[in-house]
Amino acid sequence: MSEEQLVTDASSLSPWQRHRFVVLIGLTIVISIFLVGVALALYASSGAAQLDLSRPGYTSVRDKAVRSDTFEGFSASGSVDKGTLDDFRKLYADQAEKATNFDSFGGDVMSDKTLSIDAPTK
Amino acid sequence: MKRFLIFSIAMVVVATGTALGHSLLVRADSPMTETQIQRIRENCVEAQSTLYQLHASDALLRVNRGQLYETMSTKLMEPFDSRLTLNSYDASGLVTVAADYDAKLTEFRVDYQQYEEAMSRTLAINCTNQPVAFYDSVADTRSKRTKVHDATLVLHQLIGDYKDAFEKFAKDFKETDK
Repeated sequence: MSEEQLVTDASSLSPWQRHRFVVLIGLTIVISIFLVGVALALYASSGAAQLDLSRPGYTSVRDKAVRSDTFEGFSASGSVDKGTLDDFRKLYADQAEKATNFDSFGGDVMSDKTLSIDAPTK
Repeated sequence: MKRFLIFSIAMVVVATGTALGHSLLVRADSPMTETQIQRIRENCVEAQSTLYQLHASDALLRVNRGQLYETMSTKLMEPFDSRLTLNSYDASGLVTVAADYDAKLTEFRVDYQQYEEAMSRTLAINCTNQPVAFYDSVADTRSKRTKVHDATLVLHQLIGDYKDAFEKFAKDFKETDK
């Protein structure tokens, strides 16, 4: 096919046929932006953002997070006898102790006085 | 018709009066003097630094504590209740506590999310330029943090309740086993 023939063929194409590759790229970018927006909205609204310690500002505590939970738990299948109950009692007591031994989110750390933004004493 | 008109006007006057009175009372509860505003302006950068640290340590607490609270439900309460049910035992007492626990755990997650969002808003405020907005935002964040704390206390209570329900079941089991 000669160059002249190619030019003739190109001139006979409609604007859509001539620009469809650019339109394809453009649409791909628009769809990608939309999907990223949806993903970010889900990330923010689901509460996942609050658990994400890789965010800026959490560098100092990142290493202190418990990375994997090795606790296997109690089996949902099997018979029920005295031994089963004793096993559960022990597992439950150990885990309950860990979960309740600390007064989380308590204290007076956010009081006006602690933050020195209280009304000055006369 | 005239009576209805008078009644309507009276209602509007009462409603407006109530609204105005309430806003005045709220303002009267927390009067902020120029001296306090100045004090906030002077100390708020340091306060924000403290809040940054608290924000990070609370996030860690949420991850680690949250994991423990989840474990109590998914790896202990639920499997144990299932096992009792599969073996045709009456686990209704335990199931009720476990359901309450799950509901409270959901509340804890939502409360923490709201607290964290409030804290992020507080940290984003330019407190030197907006000391009053900063003060109000700290108060809002504080109340949300208190809600999270209250939710953890209820979770601890429910963990104890489940233990009591378990001991009751174990006692009944022992008696029927004799």
